[in-house]
Amino acid sequence: MKKTETIYQDGAHKWVAIIRDQEKPGYLVDTNEYLVVNGKQGLLLDPGGAEIFPAVFSALSAEFDPSALTAVFASHQDPDICSSLALWLEFNPAMRCYISWLWESFIPHFGGDAETFVPIPDEGMDISLNGLPLRAVPAHYLHSSGNFHLYDKQAKILFSGDVGAALLPPGDENLFVEKFDTHIRYAEGFHRRWMGSNDAKRRWCERVSQLDIDMLCPQHGAIYRGADVQRFINWFDELQVGIIQY
Amino acid sequence: MSTGLAVAKKSVSTAGTDLLRIVRINEEIKLVVSVAFKINIMALNAIFLAKRAGTAALGFGVLSNELRVFSQDLRTCMQTLTELIHTSVGEVSVTLKNVRRTRLLRAAVRMAPNSPAAAALARREAENEAHEIQFQSLRKQLKRALEDAFQMVELGGVLAKSAKIEAAYGQSFAGALAQVSGEFDGIVEEIRSSLESLRRSTFVTAR
Repeated sequence: MKKTETIYQDGAHKWVAIIRDQEKPGYLVDTNEYLVVNGKQGLLLDPGGAEIFPAVFSALSAEFDPSALTAVFASHQDPDICSSLALWLEFNPAMRCYISWLWESFIPHFGGDAETFVPIPDEGMDISLNGLPLRAVPAHYLHSSGNFHLYDKQAKILFSGDVGAALLPPGDENLFVEKFDTHIRYAEGFHRRWMGSNDAKRRWCERVSQLDIDMLCPQHGAIYRGADVQRFINWFDELQVGIIQY
Repeated sequence: MSTGLAVAKKSVSTAGTDLLRIVRINEEIKLVVSVAFKINIMALNAIFLAKRAGTAALGFGVLSNELRVFSQDLRTCMQTLTELIHTSVGEVSVTLKNVRRTRLLRAAVRMAPNSPAAAALARREAENEAHEIQFQSLRKQLKRALEDAFQMVELGGVLAKSAKIEAAYGQSFAGALAQVSGEFDGIVEEIRSSLESLRRSTFVTAR
């Protein structure tokens, strides 16, 4: 079963990280899901793959009524991001799914219908969660051609999808990055291979450098906080990506 | 055991096997359709042959006409079967999807017994049950359509055998007419054998 950790709380506004499933079969990539709550409404970020749905669901329902999820936010179209969509819709068929317009007609293969999807235009959009302003920030080609991150200005948290992801060795259970230099070694190969465009990477680094961020929350691995956020952005800016030789 | 429970317990491999059986049925239907087309051409040739033979082959001509109608009816019947098979593929795909969803929801109920997962699972099982009833009705329709096709082939067999008898009265054309009627009989037997194997298919006979 997955663990939940509240990483931010201010009254009824909170962020809960759903992490580290010890019972998950080794052949499935480990993922982090994030629940943003504002009052009685919840938004689930990258709800995860169908096979890990029971673990995510049980962890989430310990914190929040899953039928009160108003929407999910999918950073992109991969199966580990949102192949569980049909199962979440079993609880609340009126739930919406925010995703890049590019994937609007692809994701229904996982579930949902014409009413389910809220297409995000390339420039991004504001999303209101019970009055809490959130911003879908463009991150195209990092790694998907239609890719978004989610910024919460009040909490100063950026959900960064696959950017910042690290494939941690078994037993590394830290929720937060403790030693940046050690941690980044687990992120390097992933970023070099998965991120396809140096231009897109540069634009993203410039864009997010202008945001006030306390925590950068990736979909795999540990969360960057404090000075490690800017450290990561600088590291990523310097990294050459998309250069496989075959 | 309730149908709903039976559906829930139905394994993915069972639905997968159903899919494989449907594919085989479809291949058999394709075979029958192509053979039925062959009868149509043969019947057309037989009609011309009977016309050349004149009054001696009047009965053969009538039977050839009937065999032509039979081949057209058989093709229509096979078209109905093909449509039912396509619908069955869709239904089995839904079953496969439902089996997976039910399994994952059941796991969620085990891990979070006091959550809304139990209600969602109950809804899912009710939907599974409704779907299973629909699926069973489709099997029955398929079985009925196969029986209709079989009856039709019985008639085709009688026509082919009568054509053999009529060929004997064909005087100087008797040899040629006997050859054609023999071919009719062989082809109808081929169709009968295909339909027999379809009737025995576990997908059709399963309750």
